[in-house]
Amino acid sequence: MQASRARLFKEYKEVQREKIADPDIQLVCDDSNIFKWTALIKGPSETPYEGGIFQLAFAVPEQYPLQPPQVRFLTKIFHPNVHFKTGEICLDILKNAWSPAWTLQSVCRAIIALMAHPEPDSPLNCDSGNLLRSGDIRGYQSMARMYTRLAAMPKKG
Amino acid sequence: MDENDLNSDHVNSDTTVDDDDADCYYDFFIKGDDPMDPEDAKSHQGSGQKYTILNQADMRKRQEDVIAEVSTVLSVSGATATILLRHFNWSVGNVHEAWFADEDDVRKRVGLLDYDKQLSDVNAGDRASCGICFDVYPRDRIFSVGCGHPFCRECWGGYIRSAINNGPGCLTLRCPDPSCSAAADRDVIDMLALSDDDKKKYSQYLLRSYVEENKKIKWCPGPDCEYAVEFDGGGGGEDSWDVSCLCYYSFCWNCLEDSHRPVDCQTVSSWLSKNTDESETKIWILARTKPCPRCQKSIEKNGGCMHMTCNPPCRYEFCWICLGDWYNHGTCNRYNEAADVEADKNREDAEKYVTKYTHYYDRWAANHSSRQKAIADMQRVQSMQIRRLIETQGKAGYELLFITDAWEQIIGCRQVLKWTYAYGYYLPENEHTKRRLFEFLQGEAEKGLERLHECAELELNQFLVDYGRPSEGFREFEVKLKGLTMVTRKYFEKLVRALENGLSEVQVSGSEEIGQNIPMTSAEG
Repeated sequence: MQASRARLFKEYKEVQREKIADPDIQLVCDDSNIFKWTALIKGPSETPYEGGIFQLAFAVPEQYPLQPPQVRFLTKIFHPNVHFKTGEICLDILKNAWSPAWTLQSVCRAIIALMAHPEPDSPLNCDSGNLLRSGDIRGYQSMARMYTRLAAMPKKG
Repeated sequence: MDENDLNSDHVNSDTTVDDDDADCYYDFFIKGDDPMDPEDAKSHQGSGQKYTILNQADMRKRQEDVIAEVSTVLSVSGATATILLRHFNWSVGNVHEAWFADEDDVRKRVGLLDYDKQLSDVNAGDRASCGICFDVYPRDRIFSVGCGHPFCRECWGGYIRSAINNGPGCLTLRCPDPSCSAAADRDVIDMLALSDDDKKKYSQYLLRSYVEENKKIKWCPGPDCEYAVEFDGGGGGEDSWDVSCLCYYSFCWNCLEDSHRPVDCQTVSSWLSKNTDESETKIWILARTKPCPRCQKSIEKNGGCMHMTCNPPCRYEFCWICLGDWYNHGTCNRYNEAADVEADKNREDAEKYVTKYTHYYDRWAANHSSRQKAIADMQRVQSMQIRRLIETQGKAGYELLFITDAWEQIIGCRQVLKWTYAYGYYLPENEHTKRRLFEFLQGEAEKGLERLHECAELELNQFLVDYGRPSEGFREFEVKLKGLTMVTRKYFEKLVRALENGLSEVQVSGSEEIGQNIPMTSAEG
């Protein structure tokens, strides 16, 4: 309990320092609860998510960092490894491949990498996975781009 | 051995006199000599069966022995040898073969570094920052498993505890750095674990791994039993897989079910799965879990995608929907009509035989519960009645062993009889002669066993009353019970052999003489 607080506090200070260093990630800690965080990540360039801003919610367990944080997308996203309704993410480092040396910041980086390199063979969103697996890259990209535009971009006028 | 001879002399002189079948003799095939002297009885090699019962200390000893062997031959530490052996399923031969073929490859696979990078190479100065809690510590509070990634001792302790609490996967613990594959061996655990409790759990997992991944050793499946059984025999074919543990549980080493002579493991498995088809648990398991296609452990899916990875040490990756290997997996959405028709036909057949099945099942289950009752009765006999008889009849304890013998015989026979009902169920309908012979033999067996069971259970009671002097009929009772025990034993032995041979007499001697080859001798009384 103490250990997780101390560690999160260190991450908090680190985030304050690194803010400018990594413009793609903006990690914010809940004002009243250090175990609740949100992050805004930029959709990686040259992907259908480019130009979108995606919000992630972190729930950090008391055993952190020995156990991984729970992360889900709050912003709707069309991606094979993200559940379309719940935002649940299928990523090995958030499950059995977790290491206590990961940080919230590096988890965000891993999620950005996952957005750029979907794993259609382990789909949580089967429609999206099937498009990619059947080789319909255009179909996948246009769907993903549409949802990026609908959900992850600021509404114009 | 001496005791055996003594016993059988004693018994022979008492029984054969009044018995019709003067050739009868005890060969002690069921009782053996184990209950008397557990120290000497661990190895059962005399009766053509080769197995050894191991207690925790024996297992540890064996484990330490193979570790020491590998450690000496490869000139590596015991902890390193442990990692290698675990990786190669505790086969010394496989470790040696792989190691001498390509040591570098083996090292890479199990995460053994061939260098020891000092922390100072990575972090200048005498202080270093822990990669988990990010605090800065003096050098002596920081530890690395030779790869140079620094973590403080407290964080190591927490990391180890969390791995141990996650299960046997802790045996393949690596450096906490995500990109590093350096192994954390049991010396590291011993040095850095937070408590003795953690160390104990780790060592227990290590021992379990030795037993469970070892092809020649299996746990005794008896309730609460902590013994394991090492089977040295070739097994299969002519040999019996039957094993009798020191906890008195007897089971088949091959399929780990109850001892089930005269039927084979395949029959037992189909029979038992048939029995549990309708049970609630089975329905629950079928509805919610699937067996791992490789290790058969039931897996409940609680979220995530269809790409499943079984728990370590299995780690098999497969598709949840079709249970196919993940790496050869294309799609599995196509409908397979042939499989469906097959399933329909099976359902119909099951309906058709349900009455027949109930007949055999009722009798199978009755013998099963009768055996359970007999086991309880025997404990009562041993703890109370024998003591009472010593008082009322003025006998010494060893003079009353024949009563325990009788009960052990009853328990053994109930087991056999129980399985003959599964045998009967699967005996082809159209082999009429065989069926008739089988039913005759089974009927006789049942009659004989009932006689023995009744004698042991009811006739004994009259001698428990204390008249102040030995009862007159007691000696008669002793002779009768011994006789019945012996005759039943012989009959069941022959029955088991005949059934295991698939009732081959039928082809040889024709239907008229059936029963002649396997005479049911009856003891007078």
